[in-house]
Amino acid sequence: MAISLRGVGYRYAGAQQAALLDVDLDLPDGAVVGVAGASESGKTTLCLVVSGLAPRTVGGRIRGTITLDSEDVDAWPMHRLASRVGIGFQNPTTQLSQVAGTVFEEVAFGPMNLGVPRDEVAQRTWEALAALRIDGLAERDPARLSGGQQQLVAIAGLLAMRPEHLVLDEPTAQLDPAGTQLVGDAIQRLAGDGASILVAEQKTDLLAAVAGRVVVLDGGRVVLEGDADAVLSDPRLAELGVPEPSAVRLRRAVVDAGVAPDRVEAAISG
Amino acid sequence: MLVRWIAALVAFVAVILIGVVTVGNFDTGIDPGNFFDTEGSDSFAFIGAIALVVAFLVYAAIEYAQTGGFGSIARQFDTRTIVLMPIAIAINVILGATVANALKIPVYLDSIGTILVGALAGPVAGAFTGFLTNILWTYVLPPPFQNGPAAAFALVAAVIGVLAGFAGRAGWLRPRPNRSGTELLIGGLVALAVVVGLAVYAYTRFYGSTFNFFIPDVEVEPLFVVLGWLVGLIFVGFVVGFGYLLVARRDLGVAYVVVAGMVTGVIAALISAPISANVFSGVTGGGTDFLVAAFRQAGSDLQTATFQQGLLSDPVDKLVTFFVVYLVLNAMARRTKARFPQGEQLLEAGDTGGIEEGEWRSATS
Amino acid sequence: MAERNELTDPSLSSRGVPDFLGRPGPSAFHRLNPLTKAVLATVTAVAAVVLGGLVGPILLVTVTVLLPGLLAGVLGRLLRTALLLALPIAVSAFLVNLFFFPGGTTELLRIGPVVATAEGLAFALEILVRILAISGAVTLFYLTTRPADLVVDLERRGVSSRVGFVANASVQTVPAMVERAAQITAAQRARGLDTEGSVWRRVRGIVPIVGPVILGAIAEVEERTMALEARGFTRPGRRTLLWAPPDTGWERAVRWALLFALLALIIVRVAGIA
Repeated sequence: MAISLRGVGYRYAGAQQAALLDVDLDLPDGAVVGVAGASESGKTTLCLVVSGLAPRTVGGRIRGTITLDSEDVDAWPMHRLASRVGIGFQNPTTQLSQVAGTVFEEVAFGPMNLGVPRDEVAQRTWEALAALRIDGLAERDPARLSGGQQQLVAIAGLLAMRPEHLVLDEPTAQLDPAGTQLVGDAIQRLAGDGASILVAEQKTDLLAAVAGRVVVLDGGRVVLEGDADAVLSDPRLAELGVPEPSAVRLRRAVVDAGVAPDRVEAAISG
Repeated sequence: MLVRWIAALVAFVAVILIGVVTVGNFDTGIDPGNFFDTEGSDSFAFIGAIALVVAFLVYAAIEYAQTGGFGSIARQFDTRTIVLMPIAIAINVILGATVANALKIPVYLDSIGTILVGALAGPVAGAFTGFLTNILWTYVLPPPFQNGPAAAFALVAAVIGVLAGFAGRAGWLRPRPNRSGTELLIGGLVALAVVVGLAVYAYTRFYGSTFNFFIPDVEVEPLFVVLGWLVGLIFVGFVVGFGYLLVARRDLGVAYVVVAGMVTGVIAALISAPISANVFSGVTGGGTDFLVAAFRQAGSDLQTATFQQGLLSDPVDKLVTFFVVYLVLNAMARRTKARFPQGEQLLEAGDTGGIEEGEWRSATS
Repeated sequence: MAERNELTDPSLSSRGVPDFLGRPGPSAFHRLNPLTKAVLATVTAVAAVVLGGLVGPILLVTVTVLLPGLLAGVLGRLLRTALLLALPIAVSAFLVNLFFFPGGTTELLRIGPVVATAEGLAFALEILVRILAISGAVTLFYLTTRPADLVVDLERRGVSSRVGFVANASVQTVPAMVERAAQITAAQRARGLDTEGSVWRRVRGIVPIVGPVILGAIAEVEERTMALEARGFTRPGRRTLLWAPPDTGWERAVRWALLFALLALIIVRVAGIA
């Protein structure tokens, strides 16, 4: 099971420039793929295209093919795709449905919309809450939670729809350090449990911790791609506007300070 | 499509005819000091509102018979519009409550959201927003926003939404900048005529023979002097803003906005006055009460005073409201507007999407 | 991922829909179906207007508002809230009708150019009772009903879930937006905005508050739309409801009886006048 993009391009309505061009990407089941790049490099657009919101909800024009388990999804309506691919956004508050008085109802909103039978909705909701360790919040008012907790509720709302793939667009971008920690830990746990996640992040530390592969975008094209370790220590990152993970920076600082590179590697692996 | 509209129109006219026959004589004699024959037009406007509801039902029924669904109505309720509606309702309630409870100025400002939704999404969506605003305002919202009288005026709010929807669909809220001097002159004259007409009406009501501030012998309460000045100031502010857009941006759109606001205001007054007079004796706890008091002091009876207040408050209110909505629409990103069901009609003419190429395709369905 | 989501904790499958949803109200009146209470409030309000006079509305309110309020144990709050809510309009209506009643001849009191008349007083009292009746009926409804209960009940009866969404979301948006407006007002005041003082300054004062609140909320529409559609909002057909308030046969009978009684009253009044 996998999502595959082949030669995918996308242009917002009324825009002269394409926001995404000639992207080939695979998100196999159980893989965590990180997306890095400067702002305006196409990270968010890629997330919208993979989730199907672009062009279905956003409008605009697309080219190339997107397949889900080798089936072309071009003619699928949004609600059909939504039960297979979940997407989470930066802003925790705008992701809340605004119609749920409790966290439980908020998380159940997606499966309810999908018409899942009542008992199964309840079961999925408890499971999603448990997966993110927030079942203690079930009775709380989602509007009164912290940003980090709201983001966890939003992700739980996606999990309750039992998608095969999860797309997260900078899930920690608008959170304070405590919230970032909370969400970062949850993503690591989900990734460790074998979820398949496409995560776009400015914070490469998070990508270094969770992603197996990383692609780097620039001007809507994939410019670097490969194993997370290799891509995230690539010297071209800086000129692409991507901050290096702190582990890479630390390693370089140690080497620059005159410690032999092989001793550094030995110390890290030892 | 055409059949539906014709049938709706026929139903509308039929209901009005039936209403006129049932109510009987409308000719109760025209008061020379009054621009309208109040009692007759009271009933007439109410019949009109009922006719509007019947016309909508006929339209919906024929669409269902033709297509087995309500496509053209459902299209006005896409997700984007659904998301905008609660915001629109909140804007209505908050501004309306502020103006009525705190500012005590004789306008309402409780239909900005309704007119915004109507313009962006269509008449049915606008009507729904207005109707739901007033229902929630009475039944669901907690104090201090709860408002007892609001539900009684739900029909008025719905009609305002319908009119805004048609104004938007007809392209009356589209910016038309950089027009030629002749066009601007004509547009300016039309709009000016509307505003001056309103001002003259307000003047004759306020400063007319029975209630004259400026005859020194007559004792005048300072309150009414202030109110008179306020009405004047709103007009001045409006004319200044209007002149700026017309002259500095050469935007002919403002002329359309003025006419749309005026028409909506007069119709809203016609429908709401009988409700206000018969249910609440014309007093609803807001700043408009001062006007009702003034007109009654001047000798008008209950119905007439309420009607006079409506004919003054509503056009001013809707002019200002349409103007605010016009500014909001201009402030919205072109891309954002275009995605609403009626968004294309709100864009400048000739301002359409990107270039089409064979291999680029939009969403199917 | 579907497999991974299978139970890690066997107790989860037996937890079902939590009982804090749709928790029953404290009194029998609270536990009535929301539609029954809504019909009662509407019929009371309309009937108070149709009846007119003083005695009719007072008797009506005693039976349909005060008595249920007493049984529900909310009488104190009901009276306080209803009076507080009706205060601005009641004062306004009372004074306008007392002093500016055209055709009033029996002079009671003269303050400057305005005259209070006995006819005006009688009419003012009638309007006062009417306003209090409407305010009381509506207050009883929302003191004993959660808005979400009414919405979910209507949705179960076939009202579109999109209508329910707009209603529920509006109830949450109003306080959220007020908070936002309060923040902006505080910020504008700090920069020297005048929300008191002369009328002209007040009128000018609205503009810098209105702009950011409206445009800020509209800017969020796009994100909210995407978030909803990503959660299957556009799926046609009915969605699953987790719970709904109970309804009974006799409550349905009561609702119809109330509506027919109102209709009969209107017919009697109209025929009586004609």
